[in-house]
Amino acid sequence: MPQDADATSEERPYPSPPKIQVRQTSRQWFTTPQPIRRLFDKFPLRTYPVNELPQRSPQNRERHALWVFTTNTGAQLGAPSFNPGCLKWQAYMIFKGIDFVTISSNNHASPTGALPFLLPASSPKLLGEAALPVPSNRIERWIREKEKNQHAGTSALTKQNSAMSESSDMRYEAYMSLLNYRVRNAYLYSLYLSPPNFASIVLPLYINPSTSNTLTRLALSHQLRSAAETELLKQSPIIDVEAIYRDCDRAMESLSELLGDDEFFFGKGTPELFDASVFAYTHVLLDEDLDWQHTRLRDGLEQYSNLVEHQKRIAEDWFGARGVRKESKSREGLK
Amino acid sequence: MADPLESGDDIFDRLKKGVDPKLQREKTRLANERDLAQFEKAQRRLGELIQDNSTLPTTISSIRILNATNTRRGFLNRIFNPIVSANQDRPYTLAEAIREVSVGADKLHKLDIFHEPISLFIDRPAQTDASTTPTDVDIFLSVVEKSRFKFKTGTDIGNAEGSAYVHGLARNIFGGAESLNINASFGTRTRSAYQASFETPILSNPNLRWELGGLASSTQKPWSSHEEVLKGGWMKLRWMTLGGGRHELGYNGVWRQITGLASNASPSVRGDAGDSVKSSLMHTWVKDRRDSPQLPTKGYLNKSTLELAGWGPLQGDVAFGKAEVEAQGAIPVPIPGIQGESGVSLTTGLRAGLLYPLPLGTESDSKPSRINDRFQLGGPTDVRGFRLSGLGPRDGSDALGGDIYAAASANLLFPLPCVGKDKPFRFQIFANGGRLLALKTTDEGGAEGEKVRQSLSSTMAELGNGLPSMAAGFGLVYAHPVARFELNFSLPLVLRRGEDGRKGLQFGIGINML
Repeated sequence: MPQDADATSEERPYPSPPKIQVRQTSRQWFTTPQPIRRLFDKFPLRTYPVNELPQRSPQNRERHALWVFTTNTGAQLGAPSFNPGCLKWQAYMIFKGIDFVTISSNNHASPTGALPFLLPASSPKLLGEAALPVPSNRIERWIREKEKNQHAGTSALTKQNSAMSESSDMRYEAYMSLLNYRVRNAYLYSLYLSPPNFASIVLPLYINPSTSNTLTRLALSHQLRSAAETELLKQSPIIDVEAIYRDCDRAMESLSELLGDDEFFFGKGTPELFDASVFAYTHVLLDEDLDWQHTRLRDGLEQYSNLVEHQKRIAEDWFGARGVRKESKSREGLK
Repeated sequence: MADPLESGDDIFDRLKKGVDPKLQREKTRLANERDLAQFEKAQRRLGELIQDNSTLPTTISSIRILNATNTRRGFLNRIFNPIVSANQDRPYTLAEAIREVSVGADKLHKLDIFHEPISLFIDRPAQTDASTTPTDVDIFLSVVEKSRFKFKTGTDIGNAEGSAYVHGLARNIFGGAESLNINASFGTRTRSAYQASFETPILSNPNLRWELGGLASSTQKPWSSHEEVLKGGWMKLRWMTLGGGRHELGYNGVWRQITGLASNASPSVRGDAGDSVKSSLMHTWVKDRRDSPQLPTKGYLNKSTLELAGWGPLQGDVAFGKAEVEAQGAIPVPIPGIQGESGVSLTTGLRAGLLYPLPLGTESDSKPSRINDRFQLGGPTDVRGFRLSGLGPRDGSDALGGDIYAAASANLLFPLPCVGKDKPFRFQIFANGGRLLALKTTDEGGAEGEKVRQSLSSTMAELGNGLPSMAAGFGLVYAHPVARFELNFSLPLVLRRGEDGRKGLQFGIGINML
């Protein structure tokens, strides 16, 4: 019978009994008569094995893949992403012990229009049925469901409870908003709207890899800058640079107070999502591989030694070799 | 004496009945025949007159173009100056003079700035004028310039796509047959497209033109779950050779963006999402000797396209050499027992293409091809009986395209009974098939160029492995002067797993069908 699956439908199961039933009831009036359908079923007369995929297609799909902003070598090493939004989820997935690879990508690839997103592993037998991507705002839920599936029973319950207690914490919400607004605004301003940093970081990391054409690079730069500007103007009618930096400074001070002498935030023994969120910014600011020309944010952060220690601890303990490479370099840089 | 009333009735009756259509037709036919005969006679007389005087020595003392107010004199001079006898080393005969002038008039016609017909008058200057010689003639060409601006809006319904468009044309802008075309269209599949092009003949030669253009468009590509946004420009030189071949040599620079991915887009399409710039040189050659482009019954078409992108000084983000050839032939099939042309014809078509990856700029390694550079195959305008881009490698539901393809078709066309062979309707029986393959990945090491050659040869071998993916069927063809419409019933005969065959009816509109 004719395979009438349309290309836009989200799922395309191969002819399965329930689907056929649905078709029969919905198209009662134009159902093809039995003999003709039997004739149709004979075609195609011959079916050969599937065509090979092009060379650029990702061949290995048996591992989960987190699509992030990173360099090609960074993607192979699993090095920390240079984008805080991506690094947050990369770190969180490492904390949760999930085995995944990173893939260097750009915002156009993402289902939400912004990286990161997770492409869960698909078994090689079902090449036609690739798993749907998980956007960043659903990665936490995806991990929770995965854990629930893995260890059914009490252990999953306690884990879920801990997650629940963390997110229900009022203080948690307040501190999270410090990061999501104050620190983020200062980061956006400092990176995109301060020309020296734009030239030394955004150009080589975000723009130059996407194209070698000068005109296109100019157009992309302009798009990025105006996007950052509109983002900042969403929160205040004018961009007051001093206020933005001052707010960020205060936010870092409160974060430093919150961490105190603990190893991780909220006195936990293992890093959680909040640690990942803080690390995402502190690592990008402190990473010596990133050539910050206008160092006001980094200088501000370096005043809080416990935040710096927190960043180093995570980089060394959780990113392992990938972090150590950075460290050795950063020492050279400090000389 | 007849009753006046009665006879009056008769008149009304006759008027009411109208003129007998048969009689009317006969009358018109006779009138036409008479006109034709008269015209032919006049032509013959004129021909004889010229024939009799064909060797009469003639010198063209002047050529005047009347009413060409917006056209530059220098531009017209280039066409007609060489004809004027002062610039010739020997005198014309009358026949030669007329031929030369009509060649010039033909050029004017091809420039597409004057209405047809262009009238030609020959006059002899007054013999009393001492500066003339007895053989002198003056030539007058009377033209009517086409309007300089044209503006059109409308709607189109095409291959599963509806669109609205605005089209503006400015003709003869600087008085040298330069034209500016501006197009904007908005549709369901081509979301938006803006295009502007400026074209001018070089050295007043209508067969040698230079074009400069730019475009910005955004097109939905549902067969591979994305939208392609293009911004770019081109420069082209077009010329015609004496053999009837048309050439085009141009440079294209396009910024392509693969964006707006569907939620179920495959990893392969996600991997190709983003920006790339193509900078390429392109050459197209077409030789069309078919009697009708939409419904050929005899003749052939040959076409080749070559593109070189990103290599050496071209730069850009993609580098490849791309070659495509197309051949189509049509022959009338005589039916025993039918005098003259039977209207039955056989057309066969062949297309093939190859994309060869090259090292970009000064790099030493070549990069694999991207989805927007690869070929797509399948659909009602090439391999019928398959969905749009239904052939070739697929990742999930996405057609990824291939680096090598070959496709062929054979159509046997019959005139419809009751409609006849002179109407643009045909019944067709067809079989077509093809393969679309991606370059194989080779595991063997070695020099980069060697690797590409190896994967190319193993992919070529795969092309002949087994039967090609095929479909066969029958249907109706309507050849509109602008496009060809087909409604076919077909069944797939041979498939690769994952390829999207279409069982049943399929409707297609195309300008250039396989």
